[in-house]
Amino acid sequence: MKTEDTAKTHGVSRRKALALGATAALAATGMLSRPARAATNLTWFMWSGSEPEVTAWKRIAALVNEKHPDITVEFQTTSFPDYWTKLPALAASGKLPDIVSLQSLRAPGFAELMDPLDARIAADKLDVGAFEPSIFKALQRGGKQFALPYDFGPLILFYNHDLFTQAGLPLPKPGWTEAEFMAAARALTKDGRHGLAISVPDAFVVYARSKGAPYLNAKGELDLVNPALKAAFASYARLVADDKVAPLFPASGTLSSNLANGRLTAGSAAMYVDGPWQLINVKRKSSFKVGVAPVPVREAGSISVSAGSGFGISRTSQNKDAAWKAVQVMTGPDAAKYLAEAGRAFSARKEFQKFWYDTAAQDVVGAREGIDAAIKTAEPYVTTPNWSTVASLFEQYAPLAFAGSEKPEKVLETIQQLANQ
Amino acid sequence: MSVDYAAMRHDTAAAPLASRRVRPGSTDRKPSVRGSFGLAVLFLLPSLLGLTIFLIGPLVASLVLSFTNWQVIGTTRFVGFTNYVNLLTIDPIFWKILRTTLLYTAEYLVLNIVLSLTIAVWISRLAWGKTIFRIIFFLPTFMPLVGVALVWLLILTPGGVFDWMMAGIGLKIPNLVTNADYALQAVVLVSLWSHFGYNMLLFGAALESVPQSYLDAAAIDGATAWQQFWRIKLPLISPSLFFGTVLTAINSLQTFDQVYALTHGGPGSATTTLGYAIYSQGFVTYKLGYASAIAWVLFAIIMMLTALQLHLQKKWVHYEI
Repeated sequence: MKTEDTAKTHGVSRRKALALGATAALAATGMLSRPARAATNLTWFMWSGSEPEVTAWKRIAALVNEKHPDITVEFQTTSFPDYWTKLPALAASGKLPDIVSLQSLRAPGFAELMDPLDARIAADKLDVGAFEPSIFKALQRGGKQFALPYDFGPLILFYNHDLFTQAGLPLPKPGWTEAEFMAAARALTKDGRHGLAISVPDAFVVYARSKGAPYLNAKGELDLVNPALKAAFASYARLVADDKVAPLFPASGTLSSNLANGRLTAGSAAMYVDGPWQLINVKRKSSFKVGVAPVPVREAGSISVSAGSGFGISRTSQNKDAAWKAVQVMTGPDAAKYLAEAGRAFSARKEFQKFWYDTAAQDVVGAREGIDAAIKTAEPYVTTPNWSTVASLFEQYAPLAFAGSEKPEKVLETIQQLANQ
Repeated sequence: MSVDYAAMRHDTAAAPLASRRVRPGSTDRKPSVRGSFGLAVLFLLPSLLGLTIFLIGPLVASLVLSFTNWQVIGTTRFVGFTNYVNLLTIDPIFWKILRTTLLYTAEYLVLNIVLSLTIAVWISRLAWGKTIFRIIFFLPTFMPLVGVALVWLLILTPGGVFDWMMAGIGLKIPNLVTNADYALQAVVLVSLWSHFGYNMLLFGAALESVPQSYLDAAAIDGATAWQQFWRIKLPLISPSLFFGTVLTAINSLQTFDQVYALTHGGPGSATTTLGYAIYSQGFVTYKLGYASAIAWVLFAIIMMLTALQLHLQKKWVHYEI
């Protein structure tokens, strides 16, 4: 009807108008070729560990479509460990998604699958100063930028506030010591519950760095067999084997950090170390008040490592321009605000970190001072190109040391040997 | 008891020749060999294509890959026999993995055959409820193993139901999945639970086909149930037993999914089988060339063991009745 009315006002004959109307109808039913500004469908591959995370990421995909109606982003997901298995498989079969998610620890190994963004950043005069410099730099390889960061954060200690107060223990706070930590862990280990749930390799790296032990040599190569690290791992294993303040965990398809997360949220462990990005999962799953603090001060201080993730464009994408637009939205201010409020991401954009504190972490005890303190002393989490392998070897072999089946020093030697094989 | 199969084969083979001889002067044109060959190819084409695309192609591809250093990311080049040499001489855990695989296969094979045969014999002697019991024991076989293994993981996890039960009956054994010496037993346990039903059904069907008249005759001659089993039933079901043994051996040499879901090859390399090593080398460390080399070593081992079993069957499998 509308077509006819318009036609009349323009003095076009009725027949022509009908023809136009028919054409419009055909176009609407998709029987004619697409209009000139065809919608671009992008694929985006991202890891996720829970339903709230999936919801958050789908919202980010929708955000792209709201900003650019001609672009739709199809969200594909799998668990974190499977992500790093499937990504090379997709690359091998030439089926990489347009938008690839990249974690800073894996940037050395996976940057080759991605397109450098430097020229695009320069052309669009993107304000890179808005990002936290350490995580922006962590997504570079050979001086080239391969992804824009969406989150970052130092590993911190999550704790069960209710258990601490019930036991009358002082709450973990910035500057708390190893002795205080051990006293709390021992006091909270009772009634089938453990004071702590440990995991590898990330939480152990934080432990080792706080003890002043390096895990890379001066050339940046993996060095798990230096005496300081061996000593640190032996004392880490003692937490389980001798002190029994942390439970054993099996080498299984579930990451030890996820198991530890599960133990904390189920109330069967009082503390565990992970990144701030886990807040979304910790809060939704737990029925107690959650607290956050930096890791305790050990020989070298309270040293955490900071890591983060970002999005980039796959080298084989057919829609690189559209993908670049999408990546900008996904790492842009609106996405940053949303992810920070949802508790999924401690934003890589400095000015949006307050939303994480104000909304996601507002009822979390010690969040702001804990993370601020941790950031001050954190080091960038530097890794080797084969870090995926190192991480999975840790998951597989570390339980031997915790169960007392093998000496911790020997376990590190095995991991070093197999990683460099 | 035995029938002269050789004579029978001779008769049947001779029949078409004889019929042809009857009509030596027949005017029928012999179908041209070329024509029938073309027709045969045409009929074979669909399965031949499927075989080439889905079996021979990947096989050849993996053989070629095993001579490269393909790592998905980075440049690929031919490295000759390097992968194989490294595997057999340098790899610090290959021999341990091989030992684990063979140990697992031996233990699982024996337990599987004994258990499935025992249950099959027990069911075959039941007066009622045969079908019900068969279904119950067969149920785990058609459950997806990965899902089943996850449930088992919950049972076997430190402080889980299994530990609680063991403590309850006063058995002091360490947690199965975190102890390097016991972890393989967890994999055997889960595999047995989920797979023995297949062989049980196979042996059950074979037992049903043992003619009752033999057993009756033996009973009249004074044979005990035990003697009937060893002297009559077992020899008569030996072809099924052989089939079950060969297939179970092949499957257990390739074991992957229960290891993947239960232990990821750990703790350490305690439960890493060749099948899991192929996966972890290929998709955790992305050494697909190296993984292909392991796959071909596994292939060679399976071929050799199967050939050995085929050879040994002459000694214990009875095909004639």
